[in-house]
Amino acid sequence: MRAKKLRDQPTSVMYPSSPVTVESSTQNGGDARDTGATGGDGATGGDDPSDVKLPVERQKNRHQRDGWVRGHQKDGAVYAKDMSKYISGGAFARARAAEVKTMLKAVNRTTGSCHVFGALPKHMRRRAMGHNVKRLPRRLRDVANRMHKKSLQAGSKKKKEQTKSKSRKARRRHGNLLLEFNRRQRKNIWLETHIWHAKRFHMVKKWGYCLGDRPTYKCYRPCYRAMSTHCLLQDLSYHCCIELQGEEDNMLACLSQLTSKEAGPTFAAALCILGRRQGSVVVYRAGLYPSQPLGPVTFLWRPRTQGSTHRQLWIWAHPSIKQDLLSELQGVCQCFEAVVPPVVPVVTPAEVVPSLEPELQSEKTPEATQTLRTKRKRNCKDSSEPPAKKILGDGTRSPTTPVTWRSSSTGIVINDLTMEIVRYRLIGPQAHSVLAETLEAASVCDEINKSQPSSLWWPEHCKDESKMNLHQQQADIFHILKDIYSTGELPSGTVLGLTVDDPRLTLPTKKVKALPCVKSTQDVDEERMKELVLRGVPDHCCQSFLWEQSVRDNVTDNKMSEQELNRMRSEVLVPGSRLSPTPLQGRVPILLVHQPGKQVGHEMTSWGAGWDLLLPKGWGMAFWIPLVYRGVRIGGLNMSLKHSQNKGTPHFPHDYPDCPAGVRFQEEQETELLDKFKRRPPAKRTNFVKHGCLAPFRCPWQQLAEEWELITKEGRVEEKRDDQTQTTTNTDTVMEEEMTSHLTVTKTQSCITVLRNRKSLKLLSGWCRPTTSKGQRSCRVGQVPPLSSSAVSLFLTEHGVSLVWVRLSLLAKGKPELHAMVCVPVPEDLKLLSKKSDSNCPQEPLHRNHFKSRIKRRNKGSKKAATSSSSTDKTEGKGSDLPSASVPKLTTSTEDPQSSSESSTDLIFGLWPDPLPSITSHCSRVSLGWVTQGDFSLSAGCGEALGFVSVAGLLNTLLNQPMEHRGMVLLRNPASLHYRFAKINIEV
Amino acid sequence: MADPRNPGTSSIPQAAPAHTDSTSPAVDMDPVEYTLRKRLPRKLPKRRNDVYVNMKTDFRAQLARCQKLLEGGGHREICVHGLGLAINRAINIALQLQATSQGALQLAANTSTVELVDDLEPEDPDEAGEPMTRTRNNSAIHIKVFYPDPQ
Repeated sequence: MRAKKLRDQPTSVMYPSSPVTVESSTQNGGDARDTGATGGDGATGGDDPSDVKLPVERQKNRHQRDGWVRGHQKDGAVYAKDMSKYISGGAFARARAAEVKTMLKAVNRTTGSCHVFGALPKHMRRRAMGHNVKRLPRRLRDVANRMHKKSLQAGSKKKKEQTKSKSRKARRRHGNLLLEFNRRQRKNIWLETHIWHAKRFHMVKKWGYCLGDRPTYKCYRPCYRAMSTHCLLQDLSYHCCIELQGEEDNMLACLSQLTSKEAGPTFAAALCILGRRQGSVVVYRAGLYPSQPLGPVTFLWRPRTQGSTHRQLWIWAHPSIKQDLLSELQGVCQCFEAVVPPVVPVVTPAEVVPSLEPELQSEKTPEATQTLRTKRKRNCKDSSEPPAKKILGDGTRSPTTPVTWRSSSTGIVINDLTMEIVRYRLIGPQAHSVLAETLEAASVCDEINKSQPSSLWWPEHCKDESKMNLHQQQADIFHILKDIYSTGELPSGTVLGLTVDDPRLTLPTKKVKALPCVKSTQDVDEERMKELVLRGVPDHCCQSFLWEQSVRDNVTDNKMSEQELNRMRSEVLVPGSRLSPTPLQGRVPILLVHQPGKQVGHEMTSWGAGWDLLLPKGWGMAFWIPLVYRGVRIGGLNMSLKHSQNKGTPHFPHDYPDCPAGVRFQEEQETELLDKFKRRPPAKRTNFVKHGCLAPFRCPWQQLAEEWELITKEGRVEEKRDDQTQTTTNTDTVMEEEMTSHLTVTKTQSCITVLRNRKSLKLLSGWCRPTTSKGQRSCRVGQVPPLSSSAVSLFLTEHGVSLVWVRLSLLAKGKPELHAMVCVPVPEDLKLLSKKSDSNCPQEPLHRNHFKSRIKRRNKGSKKAATSSSSTDKTEGKGSDLPSASVPKLTTSTEDPQSSSESSTDLIFGLWPDPLPSITSHCSRVSLGWVTQGDFSLSAGCGEALGFVSVAGLLNTLLNQPMEHRGMVLLRNPASLHYRFAKINIEV
Repeated sequence: MADPRNPGTSSIPQAAPAHTDSTSPAVDMDPVEYTLRKRLPRKLPKRRNDVYVNMKTDFRAQLARCQKLLEGGGHREICVHGLGLAINRAINIALQLQATSQGALQLAANTSTVELVDDLEPEDPDEAGEPMTRTRNNSAIHIKVFYPDPQ
């Protein structure tokens, strides 16, 4: 018993200002146990080996003048550095006194958790001893009884303190619940569908939001099926919207700094600027096009109003790049004057102005009623408490944070509309029939309502003939939409503005699956449908009142509560029938934005197409439930990853290793995976060293790109030297030597870029000879210059150190996993390929674990330190010396500081410690890159992976491959020795 | 099993690339400036006994599916549809079905023309180049394979 306490005790012993490492504490534990077992001078000698040491040792161990480091320090260099000649007696004595004191305290005190049966030897312990005293041997029963009572008392005391909070009933009361919810929303933003999701999903806190990751029920395949045959619904409200207003030319001039035409259409793309299509671009830091990308955004222009050059633009971005994007936008637009929130400048086109005034007048009425209602509630609560009001929008932001910035020079106003607009995504071919069934174009007000002024926006709009015309046209188009069979038939990115009735009014009593109306094919207006399919929605119909802040606010404020709606429903004469005069509040402006499906590649075209539904805030749940009642599946973050994976598009934070957000994501992922790895006992871990996997949890892109650049350089030099040898089969030693010198030079600027230049990508994809996923049908490639070494070297001068995003489809067996290696097959492997049998895969020979001896020695060394402390220094010195000799000393010393500092303190069994040796030539096959997402693809029916390879490496490989096997690579999972054949596709 | 698991893969009639060139004159489109992107052919509601033949699935698998529908599925008739390049295969499947049934099955073929939509996206992302759409026609065949009535 005593020994045990001593084992736990020393961690708490800490002399102020002396750093106690984990290392030392474990060591102390070890020797404390030993001394305890011998039973001698347990109290003093067991505590600190430095105490028992000879005076010479003491002096050696002294680390700093004022602070004492307990235990043995592994890195011997520290001692030599600042050895002081004197021991100040006072400080030394104080240190020892503190230690002795804590030790005595630890010995004397019995903690609540310390049970009597801890003293029993293991073979005498029984199940449930803590509950049943009779299971203990009789001599211990009394003590056990006493302790049981004590613990009971302690427990009850704690419980009493807890019950100070209200009873469950009180806590669940609506107002209190709302307060509690509001409190919990202060840290992470909740979406409007949060409660719904929290009941059904595993929630994760990401990017400052609480988001549903995956449902608690099993639905991976059903969700995939929903995406490919029916409809999958997602809440994407966490995407941030930034609004830009200003003159069109000014805005375009400013925004053009952020993008480049080389990477595809920009903000000024013809159809996008008309407001007819949604566009997407990758945004870079201003003027730095090929380097420093921020991330992908989608954007939507508001259609022009007649005779006005004033435009409005919404940029939708992922929350992880929002801050960067916002500051970048402020930079290019020179918008630095923050506008204080209460004075929100609504710079809207002229047509809104009349609708503003009546609104202002009548604002009082709903407010008045509200105060009445809240007053009644407030009476029963204590008056100090603020009335609970549901948080709409961003709850984490203080109300005084500016959300609007304007510029005096360019006249552009930037508005942060985060959480102002709800965005739902419906994926799948039946998305439009779900929408068509859920939504109904707003019914026009009757004459009586038109005549009297109203606080609501819709009656005011009804008075305007032109607006009603527009509404009618939009409603017609929406009606035609019902007759389309599949969402993919529409031009991608189409926008449709609409005003709809409150969908709660038409809520079915039972969940029914929305299906396309089959019978209506005869009486469809064929002409108009064809027009819609070919041209998309005409300009003016893309207009929506959702663009106007005043209307949005009006709609949000005047939303009818669920309670009120239910009351009205109960008053209907025939139960279950529709409310006949639709309440005036229930008109909501929305925007429907078509999302393109799979656009690259040749199979499964337009898979995963769908619609985005944009709503004013506050109306989220009102639309969510009716959508759910149409038989859609709900997906979380996990499903959106799978969606983009099947679509063959990069997913934002995962597949952008050159963006700051992508880098951050990879770091997080690494720590997460490492933690998971460390949780297993060493014997049960995958030994990645033996598998020849250098970095199973991260991808050192930088090192990869640099190594390949060096190899190509080397190759070129060699070519010049000797024309016969034109390969990369140079000896490793030369390369490595070169590399060390090279890496130390280039280490300062760490910038890999992902190739996004359209022309170059096309060239590359032509060289890779894209085929279909299973390699059955080769497709025509336009005029691609033949792959030759001169063309390659020209290409490499431009994009030497960049990576390229590739899709890999496995030819036969295998399911690629995260961070699987992409390797180059040697000629013998390609021979295997022609044999056409699944079992014939090349294998990686098992590597030797250099570190095993090192870890062992360390463990041994620590034990020795306890028994004979004098010899430890020697062993440790050897231990630190030896591996560095055996391991090729190829350093990228400051790869990332976090893990390198870790590795200096402790080696993790099964992982290669930093610094990594040469990545490319570590295994028997030269590696090109890594997989960032990999899975069995349900749409392709084989394993598919998405990953990055080094451009230089890829071209080198392609050059050396025979024509018929061009673009063939090997994939190897980190925890496997089998290489699998895969085909590289680069799709533009 | 009579129902195809996934219409996305199995029921899309594949238009052969060769037809694009033959049906549309390449005059109005400069391949350097535009990328051609084909949209899917228009889908129509599908019954259980409709079989859309494509060029991607294995021939034997498609034949087996038809046989299953006729024998195990209890359908008296099935319709085999083929578009473009897949016409050949659709005919092949129908004939194979007939041959293996020892004369019990009869065929009735219909041809039709299907309008397909292509998107032309400008390479040069300037404001000038506007995305275009064009339509072209492709042939299709619909073969009814059925057991004749006993009368």
